[in-house]
Amino acid sequence: MAIEEEKKFINLINGNQGLIHKVCIMYANDPEARNDLFQEIVLQLWRSFPSFRGEAKITTWMYRIALNTAISGFRKKTRNVQTEDLQEVHFNIRDHCGDDREEDINKLQSAIRQLTEVERAMIMMALEEVPYDEIAETIGITQNNVRVRMNRIREKLRKLMG
Amino acid sequence: MEFDDLKTIWKSTGQFQPKDDIALAAMLKGTSQSIISKLKRSAWFELIFTLIAGIGLLVYALTLPAGALKWISISLLVLLVAYSFYYIKKLVLLNRFDAAHENLRSNLEQLVEKFSSYLRFYKRSYAILYPLYFFLGLIFTALERGATEFFDVIMRPRTIGFLVLFATVFFFFSTWLTNWYLKKLYGNHVEKLKLVLKDLSE
Repeated sequence: MAIEEEKKFINLINGNQGLIHKVCIMYANDPEARNDLFQEIVLQLWRSFPSFRGEAKITTWMYRIALNTAISGFRKKTRNVQTEDLQEVHFNIRDHCGDDREEDINKLQSAIRQLTEVERAMIMMALEEVPYDEIAETIGITQNNVRVRMNRIREKLRKLMG
Repeated sequence: MEFDDLKTIWKSTGQFQPKDDIALAAMLKGTSQSIISKLKRSAWFELIFTLIAGIGLLVYALTLPAGALKWISISLLVLLVAYSFYYIKKLVLLNRFDAAHENLRSNLEQLVEKFSSYLRFYKRSYAILYPLYFFLGLIFTALERGATEFFDVIMRPRTIGFLVLFATVFFFFSTWLTNWYLKKLYGNHVEKLKLVLKDLSE
């Protein structure tokens, strides 16, 4: 029974690994920290899995736990974050994209990293095309507030990306 | 650059090294590094330590003849029992905490509230315990030297001056040490959580 539950959970994670990876990229600066955060998110999801009844969408449930873990529940180990760490997060795009696209990705990434942690969570969900009502539910603010904040964040990004 | 352009750029950032089933299964058996799990481990450690110390003290108290030392041991035992109840209550509250059912804002509010009350309790209990330890130290000295000699020595102005100075230095140093230790352990994290919460409320 427990093995079946574990298999079911691993299948679920396999289908949504991208979501967890993106949260890790947003909130951890280097591969080691990203790996630690990934593991912690998976562990928290696993612990909450028995209480997941499917009332919320699976992605809403995953975003909620992943963001709660990344922003408030997890203490990063104290490390000196070098500027190279930020440059290092290229999302492995070098082999996949041309120079212009790589430059755009770096610009977007560097702009996102200048946002606050809450703004980062919101823009990530918006870029992933999560509906505003789900963003509101995950963050704990009203849909109106999401709209107002999203406008501000887009404006901020536009300025940061030049 | 329009938002749709940003979405297109964002989509091409989706390359990552997926974890295989074996790696994922191994992760499920790992130890959580979450702040709540750390608090739980620390509460368990404190509870077990308190219980062991309590049992040791009880065994020692039972071997003592009636007298001041026995009463001091019993008063310490009462204190340890009170601490044990506090740790059990803390563990029950921590076990009820579930980030899966809360949105980011409620999760932050609960964490800030829990951490702040935890830090408050520690600071207050140490503010009470330090003077108590100090007076217990005096009583132990009195018992060792005999009451008459003890009162002779303690009434001397030089001894009073020394005790006042020692109590002041002891109190300030131990308070500073507690504050520094708690801030290092949890204080910075609480400040960070408060900032995120403030950002959400603005």
